[in-house]
Amino acid sequence: MTAPIRLPPIVRERLENGLRVIVAARGGVPLAAARLVLRGGASLDPGGQAGLSHLVALAARRGAGRRSGAQIDHLVEELGADLGAGVDEDATYFGLSAPSEALPRCLDVLADMAGAPTFPAAEVARLRRREVAALAHDLDEPTVVADRAMLLATYGGHPYGHPPEGRVRDLSRVRRGDVVALQRRHYHPGAGILLVVGAVEGPAVLEQVRRRFGRWPAAGVSSPPLPPPAPPAPVVLVVDKPELTQVQVRIAGPGYPRRSPDYQAGMVASAVLGGGFTSRLMEAIRVNRGLSYGVRCRFATSGAGGLFFVSSFTKVETVGELVEVALDEVARFAEGGPTAEELTRTQSYLCGLFPLSLETHDQLAERLADLALFDLDDAEVTEFRERVRAVTAEDCRAVARRYFPGASRVVVAVGPARQLRRQLERLGQVRVVSARRVT
Amino acid sequence: MFRPRMVTGSTRGRPPSSAILDLGGVLERELPNGLRVRVLPERSAPTVSYYTFFQVGSRNERPGLTGISHLFEHMMFGGAAKYGPKEFDRVLESRGGHSNAYTSNDLTVYYEDFADEALETVIDLESDRMRSLRLTDEVLEQEREVVKEERRLRTDNSVFGLMEEQLESLVFLAHPYRWPVIGWMSDIERISRADCEAFFRTYYAPENAAIYCVGDVDGQAALGLIERAYGDIPRGPPPAPVLQGEPAQRGERRAAVRYPAQAPALLCGWRGPPARSPDAPVLDVLQVCLAVGEASRLRRRLVIEEEIAVSVSISWAWRIDPGVFLAYAELAPGGDPARAEALLFEELERVRRGGVSAREVARARALLRSSLLHELSTHHGVAHALGQAEAILGDYREAGRALEHYGRVTPQDVRRVAREFLDPGLRNVVVLEPERGAGGRRPPQERP
Repeated sequence: MTAPIRLPPIVRERLENGLRVIVAARGGVPLAAARLVLRGGASLDPGGQAGLSHLVALAARRGAGRRSGAQIDHLVEELGADLGAGVDEDATYFGLSAPSEALPRCLDVLADMAGAPTFPAAEVARLRRREVAALAHDLDEPTVVADRAMLLATYGGHPYGHPPEGRVRDLSRVRRGDVVALQRRHYHPGAGILLVVGAVEGPAVLEQVRRRFGRWPAAGVSSPPLPPPAPPAPVVLVVDKPELTQVQVRIAGPGYPRRSPDYQAGMVASAVLGGGFTSRLMEAIRVNRGLSYGVRCRFATSGAGGLFFVSSFTKVETVGELVEVALDEVARFAEGGPTAEELTRTQSYLCGLFPLSLETHDQLAERLADLALFDLDDAEVTEFRERVRAVTAEDCRAVARRYFPGASRVVVAVGPARQLRRQLERLGQVRVVSARRVT
Repeated sequence: MFRPRMVTGSTRGRPPSSAILDLGGVLERELPNGLRVRVLPERSAPTVSYYTFFQVGSRNERPGLTGISHLFEHMMFGGAAKYGPKEFDRVLESRGGHSNAYTSNDLTVYYEDFADEALETVIDLESDRMRSLRLTDEVLEQEREVVKEERRLRTDNSVFGLMEEQLESLVFLAHPYRWPVIGWMSDIERISRADCEAFFRTYYAPENAAIYCVGDVDGQAALGLIERAYGDIPRGPPPAPVLQGEPAQRGERRAAVRYPAQAPALLCGWRGPPARSPDAPVLDVLQVCLAVGEASRLRRRLVIEEEIAVSVSISWAWRIDPGVFLAYAELAPGGDPARAEALLFEELERVRRGGVSAREVARARALLRSSLLHELSTHHGVAHALGQAEAILGDYREAGRALEHYGRVTPQDVRRVAREFLDPGLRNVVVLEPERGAGGRRPPQERP
């Protein structure tokens, strides 16, 4: 656990059109992972069109260059590859996982998806209908409903407040012209980062990338940075789902952005409070009281802001007790911080397991993409252990006091409103909404 | 709790062509008490994965005590003679490791992933609980409540969970695969400490277990440590025979689940062959042809062309006794389940009559190879694959032979197994009927 973390040799260059290219050739299984990351994700969705950027990413696979969507499906899958697309709040991602020998042909498709999507009208319309239908299914997933309600209650009208997958009403209104316009504006090489990691010949990959992605014309606009989200108004939000016998619970408050100097201390503090099986929340809620199968907390960090949240679930009758125990543990931690034993145990846990998060090509590609997207140094990986071990108990206490939910907390519970209101009203004014209002 | 063999889109894998996994370096030993040990030194990352497989799952249970295998899995973290309550994870985490476990129809499986220097600690922790687990009423009552919450999470409040539970009880009348791995709620409430003690003595005896240690270790040293730590654990009484005697299915079986869901869904299942059958890998290929990837037959027809389903998937998990080949379709809101069912069976009939093309089989092989490479790309994945192969197929070396099996599959084989196992007269069907009211109001929808 004291050995240094090593990265494979990494080649970075910027093409003339502005595309940043990162290639890490390593041994291991004969697979390659590639990611094309474009700055700007769901936060680019225009008002009233939540889900547009998600739809654009999916639609780009349904026809690009000379190939139809069905031709891309056949080509990619017959090579044994997997090619996916999606967005989060900050970026658009195209992810490729392929046998090493299939990489050149797959990169060819990827270059077309980025620079020359054709958006066949029938495919765009069909995808939109499918995504609208999928949003209906999401209403039957209590965890999804709870997460979306939490985003809405914490971020409100900020671009981070809507789910990346969109909303039924918004997505139903989207037309092909909207898809084309967003793609033209935001898909350009200056906003892009292309990563290739795996059992590949680095120079050959670079050569192909220069040739194939170099043709992508430099056009489009860079989106201005997002303002930080405003602190949420405290609320107890009950999402009414009368049929549920188990209630999903979230307790949230504002956190910090990805580049915050509090990042490491927050990671350690949240791990002590609600990381592994021995965390305080796990012990109080699962081990000592049998209230839930699982409970965790963490900081979710984005470009312009972030949030801290506790997530758990319990039977309807014990929701009040679970929330009370969780809030007590959060407050107790903010008051006293971790014990010396908790701190060193958690540091060992995080440091020992860190290499497991860099084992596969896909994992390393994602880690390097995260660094590139947020302009972070490789030292975040190579010096991970030193930085984690440098966090003190006082750092943890300070970060907890600053961010752990206090007066401005948001509490979300998904379940039968009548029983939940009774148990939660002593925490503040309870607002009851239907599931459709938050998704 | 349930781990399908083929996990699409997963990110796990190793060397090319037919030799996908080099098992020449495995050191294997069987201790005098029957414990099997397999160690594979692999220095690519400074980590180790340590798996313990117990040959017990819901398959070994009896009515009235369903769910004991899974509840017992929870009890294994409750403290033993040397490492008391709450100490297992605390000690492991303080040495840079973590652990978890799962229970399936056939097996109960524990693992630790950790930094290489913690090997001795892990062996000490695992051998301590196999030798001297302390079963207390207090831990039993806590874990009983935790498991009830787990059941509420995965089954009672999950559309798929509710349907799957119905389907398995349609497919099997007599075999223990009939009941869910997590057990019926009333049985979870009934299991006593005495039941757990008898269960431990029988099923957690060393001759019923195997250890797989893969990663940055000195193989001989690891074997020696394991031998010293586990060597004195006594054998246990022989397990009772597994309930068999499943009668032949004579016709279609159906069930409905009424629930305030937003849209209908359809779950169909057939009894397949046991994992050891040469037809098991053929069904893997059929699974990919039908429902893995956008170019698969069911995805194209039901999702892309007819737009009646939002998603369609097939699950075919290899089990010791004949398992279930299962097709699941989530319909668009307002979609007609009868029409979806007709389209699904029409596509299956096309395969049964006309087979699949050589190109489709080649595509399936390519995707299965990538899936295996992903699975075998970590110490964790390799250790699990070795254990799974030995527990289900009787030989850990089978973990390295999957590609050979796929390489032999022909289009004719695919057609033959489709005819044999996907007989429409022997199907089992569960339909999710969305209930109005109580929050189940029809959602806004669009039609193609």
